[in-house]
Amino acid sequence: MAFVTTTDLIPLIPELILLGAAFVVLLLDLFAPGSQRTTLAVTTIVGFVIALVAEIQLLDSGATGFYGTIVADGFSILFESLYLVIGILTVLLSLHYLDDHGIGFGEYYVLLITAVVGMMFMTSSLELLVIFIGLEIMSISSYILVGIRRRVPESNEAALKYLLLGAFSTGFLLYGISLLYGATGSIRIPEIVVALQEPGALNNPLAIIGVALIIIAMGFKVAVVPFHMWTPDVYSGAPTPVTAFLSAAAKAAGFAMFVRVLLTGIPLEAELWKDLFWAIAVLTMTVGNVMALMQNSVKRMLAYSSVAHAGYIMVAVVVGTPAALSSVIFYSCAYAVMGTGAFGILTVRHFGKTPDSYDDLAGYARYKPCLAFLMSVFMLSLIGLPLTGGFIGKLQIFQAALEEGWVWLTVIGLLNSALSVYYYLRVVVCLYMREGSVPDGAVLEVAESPGFALTGLVGAASVVVYLGVFPQTLLELAASSVSTLF
Amino acid sequence: MIVFFYLFALISLILALGVLVFKNPIHSALSLVGTFFCLAAIYVMLNAEFVAVIQVLVYAGAIMVLFLFVLMLLSTKDNDQYALKLNVSRGLAVAITGVLMIQVLTAFMDPTLRFGEPGAYPVERIQEIGSIALIGQLLFTEFVLPFEVISILLLVAVIGAVIIAKRRVP
Amino acid sequence: MSQIWLVPAFPLLGFLLNGFFGKFFGKRFVTIIAPAAVGFAFLQSLVLFFEMRAADGHRLVETLYTWMATGSFQVDVAFQVDQLSGLYLLIITGVGFLIHVYSIGYMGAEAGYYRYFAFLNLFIFFMLVLVLGDSFLLMFVGWEGVGLCSYLLIGYYFEKHSAAEACKKAFLFNRVGDFGVLSAVMLIFVTFGTLNFNIVNAEAATQLESGGILVTVITLFLFLGATGKSAQIPLYVWLPDAMEGPTPVSALIHAATMVTAGLYMVARLSHLFVLAPFTMNMIAVIGAATALLAASIALTQTDIKRVLAYSTVSQLGYMFLALGVGAFTAGIFHVMTHAFFKALLFLGSGSVIHAMHHEQDMLRMGALRKKLPVTYLTMLMGTLAIAGIPFFSGFFSKDEILWKAFSSPLGGGGFWLIAFVTAGMTSFYMFRLIYLTFHGESRVDSHTAEHLHESPAVMTVPLVILAVLSVFGGFFGVPHVLNFLPNGMELYFKGFFAQVPETTPGSAAAEIGLMVASVLLAVIAWSLAHRYYSTSLDAVTALRNRLQTTYRLSLNKWYVDELYNAVIVQPGKLFSTFVLWKLIDQNIIDRLVLLPGNVARGVGSGLRLAQNGVLQSYALIFSLGAMLILGFVLL
Repeated sequence: MAFVTTTDLIPLIPELILLGAAFVVLLLDLFAPGSQRTTLAVTTIVGFVIALVAEIQLLDSGATGFYGTIVADGFSILFESLYLVIGILTVLLSLHYLDDHGIGFGEYYVLLITAVVGMMFMTSSLELLVIFIGLEIMSISSYILVGIRRRVPESNEAALKYLLLGAFSTGFLLYGISLLYGATGSIRIPEIVVALQEPGALNNPLAIIGVALIIIAMGFKVAVVPFHMWTPDVYSGAPTPVTAFLSAAAKAAGFAMFVRVLLTGIPLEAELWKDLFWAIAVLTMTVGNVMALMQNSVKRMLAYSSVAHAGYIMVAVVVGTPAALSSVIFYSCAYAVMGTGAFGILTVRHFGKTPDSYDDLAGYARYKPCLAFLMSVFMLSLIGLPLTGGFIGKLQIFQAALEEGWVWLTVIGLLNSALSVYYYLRVVVCLYMREGSVPDGAVLEVAESPGFALTGLVGAASVVVYLGVFPQTLLELAASSVSTLF
Repeated sequence: MIVFFYLFALISLILALGVLVFKNPIHSALSLVGTFFCLAAIYVMLNAEFVAVIQVLVYAGAIMVLFLFVLMLLSTKDNDQYALKLNVSRGLAVAITGVLMIQVLTAFMDPTLRFGEPGAYPVERIQEIGSIALIGQLLFTEFVLPFEVISILLLVAVIGAVIIAKRRVP
Repeated sequence: MSQIWLVPAFPLLGFLLNGFFGKFFGKRFVTIIAPAAVGFAFLQSLVLFFEMRAADGHRLVETLYTWMATGSFQVDVAFQVDQLSGLYLLIITGVGFLIHVYSIGYMGAEAGYYRYFAFLNLFIFFMLVLVLGDSFLLMFVGWEGVGLCSYLLIGYYFEKHSAAEACKKAFLFNRVGDFGVLSAVMLIFVTFGTLNFNIVNAEAATQLESGGILVTVITLFLFLGATGKSAQIPLYVWLPDAMEGPTPVSALIHAATMVTAGLYMVARLSHLFVLAPFTMNMIAVIGAATALLAASIALTQTDIKRVLAYSTVSQLGYMFLALGVGAFTAGIFHVMTHAFFKALLFLGSGSVIHAMHHEQDMLRMGALRKKLPVTYLTMLMGTLAIAGIPFFSGFFSKDEILWKAFSSPLGGGGFWLIAFVTAGMTSFYMFRLIYLTFHGESRVDSHTAEHLHESPAVMTVPLVILAVLSVFGGFFGVPHVLNFLPNGMELYFKGFFAQVPETTPGSAAAEIGLMVASVLLAVIAWSLAHRYYSTSLDAVTALRNRLQTTYRLSLNKWYVDELYNAVIVQPGKLFSTFVLWKLIDQNIIDRLVLLPGNVARGVGSGLRLAQNGVLQSYALIFSLGAMLILGFVLL
């Protein structure tokens, strides 16, 4: 048994940098409590940026460590970079929100960092145990983040619901992992794959139940129907930047794990699993869209629409070819950016309150023209109109599905995406076509939007458009990172 | 040995049921302690002495004591609200979990069921080395990463506790 | 040396400059940038046009970069200029430039001047992308983009509730069409493995069985998309409502360019469409039906823009009829002449509305010709053109369509008859419009009358240019039978469109006969309009009077009118108002299109019951799902 050396730590450098940043923030908050909150935010961003640089340095290094259980392959680097970018965006969107809502915890930023660290372990590990622990780090950080507005009942309720249901799903995950271990004798993905590729191994009920239970638990994390019930309540109760973070990064991490654990080795080509994923994809798209249509709160609408978007990604999961998997990556990235952007607009106060219902969005065109424009960009991308990342993402998914002959699935997806126009468009209509009654005492002027948030939102919108016009860079990255999986 | 297994399994099941049906939450908590002890006994029979000890120390010792403290601090006169009453949704819940259990059971009854390779540490080997020594070795070699990563999890949990416990929001 | 990308780049630059800096740099800046952007695009288009004529195979292709490439699938951002897109380029940038110039005068007093011009430039950009793209995907970019801009511009006066509703309607109706396009694109991709127009056109005959189900389905889906964009039955109702937008927008988007995108698509894929006789027939039937229906509605409208809107729908129906009978050249020819005279008519009506301080009701106009001489004369030219009076542009293109509808193997006497009747109606309602607006006695209220004035030169000069084009534009495509000039259009499009099998040239005598008949009909309709609308009281006022004071009216004078009322106007009006407009247009079609949303809403309220906020029930549903999944995989 060889001992671990420092070279084993190379693939973990970004994680270590982030942990360092977390401690710095924690200590700053402790020993310099009077220091500006901006300092904490900037420190956090610096941490994320350095980690991002480290990720880029690791690209093509092929570094592995800890007996091959931690890898820095293209796949993990791409996803980890996505979490880092979303992390930066979230910090940018948080600063004014925390001030507005009197959330004075410096721990907020620490938890954000640890959540990202958890996701990174989930993505870069090949050992189910580490993946599980990473998942839990992410989950527990997010439970706390969701409930960080301690005096707001909705926030508490959301946190409790998320915690209890999350724990419930964790049970399924652990049981699934145990059964899979029982069936294969290993908790390392490469070894599990080898064991399961023996003839008849997948007819083993132990393996079947194990995989099914893992699918159920993963389904909870990425919020597919019928395990999505927590999404609207948690997303609407959580502080909006946290919602953005969860819908973008946590969901992406879920799909990364989905791909890594379930789709790259475990032979799920059998009709059985395809049919299962098919049903889940169709249900998720449809329920998400139909429910989103019913909402009067924009935040809840976006929550349901994030369910629908998970459904589109599930379409690619059904197909399962390398092209489809790379479309999972592309769509996750595109959705993460546009979703964060859309939620991000809702963090900025308008007429003295954080917007929630559609009516609250009235009058943006006049008083906050910049935000109105950015929100329209995000909505158009969520609809999937050309020249936005959303369009290319949908195109990639449906094209991959068509190549494999999943015509009906594509048709259902297209119909769903047509349905989604109704509610996304409602947002644009409210932004531009309604004047809005101005509440008494509200300051009527073209209010300056918080600089940090604006920077982040403009950046997100630029990325959305960039992905629509020049998608090739990311497409190639996605394709090459998928090739490292097999 | 097999007799002891069934004995402990039966007791733990009964006690687990007790957790649900006792009206008095203190009784429920105590029967949970009993369940944990039975589980610890089963661990011992599986040559997992370390896990058994930890089970007793952590669950029965620390966590359950905490539970009991909280229950006593919050004690309400009206114990009826905790009592298990059957209504439609609970009935449904029982039915669904029942079906889930039957599904798993049938899978285990399935003749095609096979277990994987026993791995590098079969029972004889464990008895030879001693499970605690083995765990110590593995924790610092093969499983050093999860072992260390868990510390982040604990850190996060501590931060969460601090946030909940902070007296005033600054 | 081609530099095709410059053409869309100019308007895009204009959009960016106006959109982001227009507010700060002020009106003068916007006034220069916006028309200049389109003007430069026009100049570049001219250069390209002649370059394309000189090029081998009359096609220039320019690949900018690889848009996306995964596996076997590759799409480039590539622009192509060929006969079809070259012509469209000139129409879009040329007419677009004139309308931009016109807008300087028309929109001068509006708030959000910069916003208007930014959107207008953006529209031109997307329209150019639509016609320049060499693949379905790039065309779809333009397709969605023009829809979006149209939506933004219809809702320009968003304070008005009706405008907000209208733009929503436009967008939703277009989405129904877009679903058709997407489905078709999907099937084409599955069939051909590529989305490039040229490859699809070239391989259509070998890959697809003529008259087969697949090609029929593909083309029907495409046609569904075309009906949405080009306002045909059943998706036409958004266009009249779209008149809520500023008038130059109606001229540019809802008359000259965007609404012809559907025709562009069908013409672009002519080699695909001819393989599906059923679809071709469908296109002809829908086109003819739309032409007739819309013309009959236009007969009784009193809002000047609505008359023109229904007229546009009707004319688009005409063009589809042409495509449906395989006369692609004639259809595209009519696209061109229609762009001239309909843009002219809309801009003219805008000039009237401008002078009348946003009054659009023709019953409150009358005798304006003295006050607005330029507007009057130019609109008269446009009317003569659309009515098909000989040697005006509409005459050539319309008669070409009529003749092809009659003589083509895909056409027939029925199609000709419908088109013929429609032509008569067109002449009638257009002259009715002229007479109500410019002749008779003034019904303008005194306050407005004091301020009546001709529009400034910046508006009238584009009118004059368009009038010249409307008068002479037809000589590009003189029918063979008249033979005093070569048929420029057919030479231009030689070998571009798919040939309809076994074309039987009809006799020259028949063609001349039909031509004379249609001219006669147009003139008769003109004289009818003259008779009832050029006098001091128009028929509608008279009708109202008659109901109140039948006995006091002179018998002799009203005898004919009563007959006319009873036999033609009244039933026609009842029919067109209540049956066609109220019932079909407003109820059935509106509801059909809005149906998916309503159904989804109904289903949703059922699902919402489960989403009750109670944690236990969430866990219950979770377990239920787990149970189903386990049950599924274990069985």
